[in-house]
Amino acid sequence: MFFLRNKSNFIVVVFFLASCSSMNVTEEKVYSGDVKTVKASSTKSSNINYDSMAVFANATVYFEFDKSNLTSKSIQTLKSAVNALNENSSIMITLSGHADERGTREYNLALGQRRAEAVSDYFVLNGISPDRITVKSYGEERPIEFGQDEKSYSKNRRVEIN
Amino acid sequence: MKKILLIYFLSFNAISELTLEITQGTEDPYRVAIIKFSGADKATADIQKVVFDNLLRTGEFTIFNNEDLLSIPQIEEDIVFNDFRILDIDFLVMGKVEDDGLNIAVEYQVFDISKAKKIRTSTVYGIPNKNRQLAHYVSDGIYQEITGIPGIASTKLLYVTEDNDFKLLISDADGSNEQVLLESTEPIISPSWSPDSKKVAYVSFETGIAKVYIQDIASGNRQVAVENSSQISSPAWSPDGKFLSLTMYQDGNAEIYILNLKNKNLTRLTNHYAIDTESTWSPKGSKIMFTSGRSGSPQLYELDLKKFNSRPKRITFDGNYNAKGSYLPNNEGIVFVHRADTNFQIALKYFNENFVRPLTNAQMDESPSISPNGNVIVYAIKDDGMGLLSGVTLSGAKFRLPASKGAVREPAWSGYLR
Repeated sequence: MFFLRNKSNFIVVVFFLASCSSMNVTEEKVYSGDVKTVKASSTKSSNINYDSMAVFANATVYFEFDKSNLTSKSIQTLKSAVNALNENSSIMITLSGHADERGTREYNLALGQRRAEAVSDYFVLNGISPDRITVKSYGEERPIEFGQDEKSYSKNRRVEIN
Repeated sequence: MKKILLIYFLSFNAISELTLEITQGTEDPYRVAIIKFSGADKATADIQKVVFDNLLRTGEFTIFNNEDLLSIPQIEEDIVFNDFRILDIDFLVMGKVEDDGLNIAVEYQVFDISKAKKIRTSTVYGIPNKNRQLAHYVSDGIYQEITGIPGIASTKLLYVTEDNDFKLLISDADGSNEQVLLESTEPIISPSWSPDSKKVAYVSFETGIAKVYIQDIASGNRQVAVENSSQISSPAWSPDGKFLSLTMYQDGNAEIYILNLKNKNLTRLTNHYAIDTESTWSPKGSKIMFTSGRSGSPQLYELDLKKFNSRPKRITFDGNYNAKGSYLPNNEGIVFVHRADTNFQIALKYFNENFVRPLTNAQMDESPSISPNGNVIVYAIKDDGMGLLSGVTLSGAKFRLPASKGAVREPAWSGYLR
């Protein structure tokens, strides 16, 4: 009896070792990864008011890296923009915020938005109705200068007033 | 095993597709002999080349061809294991391609030289015109058998290019087989895969402002994730595929929300006057990591979704720019964009270490995305002002996927497709 039990243990161990080192056998079929191409129809409405374009043709304010506060130079620009808006009460404006290419795209999209909001806040504080203002951001996606230096970066950290 | 630093330079003839070169391998590679696959037609040589390149690109293998060997067995019974032991070879792979003109299949076997034993025998059945994908399945099987980790050759990359217009593209993990998902005259950013890799989400500016879209890859059906008039961005799928985290700007500031994809309910997660964006889910979906400017500079924070009203916990402290984090699939750490001095690098931080490990050292590296097996990180670089994709393995191998047309950016790695 003792002998038999011993023998069965031995068999179990051998079986265990055999299953441990057993060979992998696999069969599989390649997955068909079909792709359909879509063309985005740009429904981008041309909401740029050409009267305001004439008034604000060069109205762009600039920012420091990772900052959205207005500089004294920006405030000079915005003061004359406020005057123009007061004189032409029919003008609607779009504020487009931008960032330079350094840092991540999504963070820069949010940063561009903050910059545009900062300009919007200035206008509202100076009596312009928020109904006349549209705020949006392009982040780092629409640079106007393509160099990889501070001179180009400083031109790209901007809010355009149209 | 000898410590050798291997340097490979490979490139494919793939016009207007990404090409590939390996600039640096690991120090202690597996030594693998791959006998020329049997099978007469051209498909055999093509499949074998793809398998060979896939294994080399991991940086984890030194490959021996027929010319490098002392004996070349054609069948299992012919193998003289000593001929491989003498060359310090660890594994032997033999394969045959069966092509009846209609269907193609590869049968391959892996032998462990030290044990003088067959350890794997596999068959992969192909489908017409998908021989590359068939070869990817073969190399993934070989990779898994030798390393114990699932291979990623059969996974896909999603990325954006800008040339005359913007394109959202999908390719094999080696950059080949490039296909267009979306073409637009306006920017496309932040592409992201659904966990089953059948859908993608991305941000398109086609209506004039940033909006998140969800697109089915096979059918091309697409829809706006949230219908409202404000800007929305930074989509990330929950691991169970039921939710999409998003950055919404309806309060004028970037805040993170979770969208229930079934009933379209939105739950607000953050509420702070600083920027909160770039949300991502932990592997089990219990936490959300995001970038926030609340400390005065971009840093990574974590929110525990299981605790009611939990407050964001800051998790990066080195440097003044840490952003766009993602969790390693084993949840042992995070990969993110880190600014060291003036350079933006890809960095890794393990949760059980209190320091940051830089993985790259160029000037403007961004958009890291981790392979589903956690071994490789693909990211965007700027080379002479041009956007290109690069890869780095956690074991130290680096490779590059240069573009021949347009600036390439924002790579995102799919899940497993096998």
